[in-house]
Amino acid sequence: MDINFSQQELDFRNEVKDYLENKYPKHIKEKQANGEQLSRDDVVDWHKSLFNQGWAGYNWPVEYGGTGWSPAQIYIFQEELGNANCPNIIPFGLNMVGPVIYTFGNDEQKKKFLPDILEFNSWWCQGYSEPGSGSDLASLKTKAVKEGNEYVVNGAKTWTTLAQFADWIFCLVRTETTQKKQEGISFLLIDMKSPGIEVKPIITIDGEHEVNSVFFTDVKVPCENLIGEEGKGWTYAKFLLGHERFGIAGIPAQKHSLNQLKERTLSFADDDLKKKIAEYEIELSALEFTELRSLAALANGGHPGPESSILKIKGTELQQRLTELYIESAGQYILPYDGPDGFKSNKKPSSFIGSDFTSRSISKYLNFRKTSIYGGSNEIQKNIIAKAILGI
Amino acid sequence: MNLEYSDEQMMLRDQVTKFCESDYTFDKREKIISSDEGFNKDIWKQFSDLGWLSIPFNEDNGGFNFGPIELSIIFEEFGKNLVVEPYLANVVMSGKLLEIINSDQSKSLITKIISGDKQISLAISEPDNAYNFHSIKTNVSESNSKILLNGNKSIVLNSKNADYFIVYAVNQDKENGLYLVNSDTAGLSINNFKTFDGQICGELTFENVEVDKSNVLVSGDSSVDAINSVMDYINLCLSAEAVGAMIASYTKTVQYTKEREQFDQPISNFQVLQHKMVDMFIEAEISKSLLFKAMLQLDSNDNDASKTISSLKAQIGKSGRFVGQTAVQLHGGMGVSDEMSIGHYLKRLTAIDALFGNRNYHLNRFASL
Repeated sequence: MDINFSQQELDFRNEVKDYLENKYPKHIKEKQANGEQLSRDDVVDWHKSLFNQGWAGYNWPVEYGGTGWSPAQIYIFQEELGNANCPNIIPFGLNMVGPVIYTFGNDEQKKKFLPDILEFNSWWCQGYSEPGSGSDLASLKTKAVKEGNEYVVNGAKTWTTLAQFADWIFCLVRTETTQKKQEGISFLLIDMKSPGIEVKPIITIDGEHEVNSVFFTDVKVPCENLIGEEGKGWTYAKFLLGHERFGIAGIPAQKHSLNQLKERTLSFADDDLKKKIAEYEIELSALEFTELRSLAALANGGHPGPESSILKIKGTELQQRLTELYIESAGQYILPYDGPDGFKSNKKPSSFIGSDFTSRSISKYLNFRKTSIYGGSNEIQKNIIAKAILGI
Repeated sequence: MNLEYSDEQMMLRDQVTKFCESDYTFDKREKIISSDEGFNKDIWKQFSDLGWLSIPFNEDNGGFNFGPIELSIIFEEFGKNLVVEPYLANVVMSGKLLEIINSDQSKSLITKIISGDKQISLAISEPDNAYNFHSIKTNVSESNSKILLNGNKSIVLNSKNADYFIVYAVNQDKENGLYLVNSDTAGLSINNFKTFDGQICGELTFENVEVDKSNVLVSGDSSVDAINSVMDYINLCLSAEAVGAMIASYTKTVQYTKEREQFDQPISNFQVLQHKMVDMFIEAEISKSLLFKAMLQLDSNDNDASKTISSLKAQIGKSGRFVGQTAVQLHGGMGVSDEMSIGHYLKRLTAIDALFGNRNYHLNRFASL
């Protein structure tokens, strides 16, 4: 064991820093600094920039076009991206369906889908939750019936993040009604341009349009878009959820956000706030080291296991805690709110803590309520730990 | 000691409950908060006709001689139904303040509030005074027998609908005072904002705004005392509203978890969720107890009333956060959907904590009193 980075790793950090200083797109850097919303094109530019650098597959194996980086390199990469206030890497392609395809897909599928995922030519979204199936995901009812070389899909998915931008959706569908509900589920890739798909926005309590309902009416999907075997979808889904929970804590972004909070409140003579920030920071550093331990285990050939549930629970609790500290420090000035896009240029409320700060504080506070609900609610994560780790 | 509502108080409560249930549905509220004014004129007129706008005033001022108990009753019901009508801004903040000041103008202004004809907003907060309400930079200067007002006010509730503002400002002798300003006076500009919980607040900028001598409502220590007194009423009412919001939050959550099925059963069967809902219930009850203590002490002019009100506001900051957040969590994805009411309770509870001293502020104030 050694807590210090090797010379090689330090060189690597400089390489990442160099990219962020010289090649990271300026227009994105600016929007991020001003807290502006990114357009679909901005998000695509950001990912293409990473691709051009050869880093899009930062956690993929080399044989599929990934970097093959060590856990330490992945950690350094993510930390530097966080420090530079980079946008999130959209996880649906790169961290979710990508690993499922290269692990369980056939050669045709790998050839067809992986390059576009890496290059961000295709935007993916996740068709898991349904109106009647949230925590109890395996109870899903969206049906796929095989007719010739096609599946005909009917049903509804919900809370589908950024479906309004997506080219493809990966779906859990029921191909068979079985005694054990997990056994009739299959994993299907569906082109969002297929006739019969309708996307309807859901507005969340922060006023944002981030999630959607997706309705399927007699949508025809070629059988070649089935991943692995029919009825084995639940296995792939669990594999994917393990990957999803990994990185869900957004630790580098939290560190950046923590530093901003400290800067803003530096002049406050408020010992209560300082103590609360310290408590948060201690827990964040504990979580960061927990993630490092998981990364190390992963490097030794393991897959993210039930311990990734710790990262999900603790990570989202801390994300939410940080948003609370923001609104506490902003006090009454959080009240004026013009929606997630912030205030229009010439009409901003003034306060000693700044309208951008107050507006983002309340926006994030409300938006981040979702984190303990999505990706398997924290209650479900605790059930997983109880069963799979503690053996209860 | 008697901790039961009187028959009259029960009648008032039933009247407000019935009104809210039949005339203030969530859909109607949604329309109101998306309107420009952010309140409903017909409903405001109904409030006046029902006599609700005269509740806290004494008979000399045209009121019912009611007090903190009746205000708490009204606000608890408002909280249960997320009422956004500008009752706090007009009746409590401005009306009660005017009654406390008891200046020559008070009676005629209170009459206008009671009739619903005019709206008045109190402008205390400033962009950089946080919760130090008496530390103000907005100032008045006297020259050639003219009084000129200059400065900025922020987080002025219901600013958009106000016909008059009562402005807290400091004079050349460093004495604070309260000044009445017509909203269309030259030199006053108003920037209105929607708040995240569906209300309206604004910023006022005064540039050499002329104030008539007759519009100096009060100055010196009396103005500081008046603000302190009305602040107790404001925080009592907000806390009562929070208690109502908490009760509605746990009631709706219990109902939802009984209806929502996962794993082939209602999710209310799961003990983890049951305990969470029990905790929500306990937090609401604890808060309600402090509300009772505070309103009764204020009603009997108890010396400890102000301290108890800080304990109440601190408690509902903590309890409200827990109850609001847990209600959303137990509703799952539906909880963060804006078309469901449950997330709006979280927003209101969050706004209530932020208004007129958050939990931190009131913990410190409690410890210092």
